[in-house]
Amino acid sequence: MLDPRIDEALRTMLPRLRRFALWLARDSNAADDLVQSTIERALSKWHTRRDDESLRGWLFAILYRLFLDGKRRASRYARLLGSLAHEEPTWPSAERVAMAHATLSAFAGLSVEQRSLLIWITVEGMSYQEVADILQVPIGTVMSRLSRARRTLRQLGDGDTQTPSLRLLK
Amino acid sequence: MTTTPPSEHDIHAYVDGHLDGPRRGEVERYLARHPEQADEVHGWRQDAQQLRTLLAGDLGPAPALDPALIRERARHRRVVRWATAAALLLCLMVGGIAGWAARGIGSGNAPMADAMQAYRLLALDHGVGMDITTGNESDLRAWLSGRVGTTVRLPDLADAGFRPMGGRLFATDQGPAAMVLYDDGNGHTVSFYVRPPGPARRLLPRGAREESGLLANYWSDGGHNYAVVAMADNAGREASQRVIGKAI
Repeated sequence: MLDPRIDEALRTMLPRLRRFALWLARDSNAADDLVQSTIERALSKWHTRRDDESLRGWLFAILYRLFLDGKRRASRYARLLGSLAHEEPTWPSAERVAMAHATLSAFAGLSVEQRSLLIWITVEGMSYQEVADILQVPIGTVMSRLSRARRTLRQLGDGDTQTPSLRLLK
Repeated sequence: MTTTPPSEHDIHAYVDGHLDGPRRGEVERYLARHPEQADEVHGWRQDAQQLRTLLAGDLGPAPALDPALIRERARHRRVVRWATAAALLLCLMVGGIAGWAARGIGSGNAPMADAMQAYRLLALDHGVGMDITTGNESDLRAWLSGRVGTTVRLPDLADAGFRPMGGRLFATDQGPAAMVLYDDGNGHTVSFYVRPPGPARRLLPRGAREESGLLANYWSDGGHNYAVVAMADNAGREASQRVIGKAI
């Protein structure tokens, strides 16, 4: 594929990538950095992509792994400094308003994998097999984790009293 | 009528709208008879719809994330990295070449300083403390080839008016060195000094230098370093020239 065609294909995926990154990182600056790293990685690894592989799944997998790697590094770094200081995420104003919504604040309280599962499956409408490929687990595992995610979201959205402790546990 | 409960996969597929007509009907019939589970599944459906609506918002433009721009920036970074690597390599090469060229320069490392020390030690006392004292050139040749190396050439300086007086061995970092002292019968002494180049194979370009009243001419030949040392006066210079003309 020619470079301009690749760029165009990636460009159409940008809004989805940015939305996913924002709900992973829960910080708009970190999200943009994450998307940029994802595009860089995608450009340099384009030749390794299988033709039958969905571009969306491939990009989500790259972004997801970059985020987890970054998180591991950050927590190692934080341990190194012996600090557990928590930085306040910087949300874009539209999302700050939206956070007032019970479902969204419950959603923000889910674990990284649970948020990813729900975005991939309910928002992006990806197939369970695609998600299983990204997470590299059997499809049955995706099903049981999806049940857990949906139950937790319900609990957090309804009860709300358990939110703080659950947040600490994740 | 009893029905087996639908699989977890079918429940989720029902929530996500992935089921075809007949199987959707099965799930719906099952849920109709199990209100508690129906409540949960309808809650999931509601959550999914809400998430779709709430997360659908546009994030606004982000021109910095355009793939063409990122591609260009990555290319630029690659160029800079290559240029940096090339510059570093160049620095290393220049440093290496300069260092190689400058080898031997510096304190205590002047070429054939040992030859001048040997001359100072022996010639100024006119041959006191020699290992072998003989005017016979073939004896001296045999002595040299046994101690320093068979390929060492001892110059015949009879034509230049110099006759050998004898020789002495010296231990150097590079191995055994030998000096043969010549005399012209008029109080002028010239030394002929030979030393192996050592494990570093440090051979010398032809050259001359003066230091504290002594003149050394040096060169390399046949895998050995040679020097001719004399007093740095007119007579010494002239004698050196004659000796070198014969030796090289």
